[in-house]
Amino acid sequence: MSRLIMFHARECPHCKAMMPHVDRLEKEEKVKFDRLEVWHDEKNADLMRSYRPVIAPKCGGQLRTPTFFNPETSDVLCGEVSYEKLRDWALKQG
Amino acid sequence: MKKYWRCFVCGDIHFGVKPPEVCPTCLVRNAYVEISSDEAERTMRPTRTTMTRSEFRAAIERFAEKNEFQVCPDSAKVEMLFDGLFANEENYGLKYCPCRLRTKDFNEDLKLVCPCNFIAHETYKGKDNGECWCGLFIRRKK
Repeated sequence: MSRLIMFHARECPHCKAMMPHVDRLEKEEKVKFDRLEVWHDEKNADLMRSYRPVIAPKCGGQLRTPTFFNPETSDVLCGEVSYEKLRDWALKQG
Repeated sequence: MKKYWRCFVCGDIHFGVKPPEVCPTCLVRNAYVEISSDEAERTMRPTRTTMTRSEFRAAIERFAEKNEFQVCPDSAKVEMLFDGLFANEENYGLKYCPCRLRTKDFNEDLKLVCPCNFIAHETYKGKDNGECWCGLFIRRKK
């Protein structure tokens, strides 16, 4: 399974809404996310910024949270989505 | 050629061929010095406010009341967003949206300052249940 990243922010309601989905996905499937908070950790923020050329075009031109990202393939899923959509995205990462 | 001038007493900025003889704000005579465009730009940048949470709440309520949108009625969500906005102002100088990361390009990041121009965004424009990026503002029900 690829290393997957979830860029999130502590005070972002969309991120908060997605956390139970991520917990469930990690429990039910062989999936693991690195959960990287970006507004209170400059190292994580700089990492997300380094991926801006591939993330922003797929997220309305912005660095939005939450963003789910596969650094190996540069595949991106951003925003608050259903559990099924997140699961399908994660499982296709291989 | 027009240049930037700054009153060394009160800090007012003037853009013109020559500075005013008397500063219109502090009324001091011959107080203007020429400054670079970079310094003028830095001086005119928005800066942090001294608003309390309740004052900011009142300000965005006033902003919304004349428009087609309203402040989100979910008070727990609003409080969480306020936590983020005020933390970002404390740490980075302005009330940046908690749901988007700043790029470190000051002018680019001005687009993230709350309230942003969300009526043009994909999460709001043309949507009956449209909302701003973070959900602080939602389209008012008809």
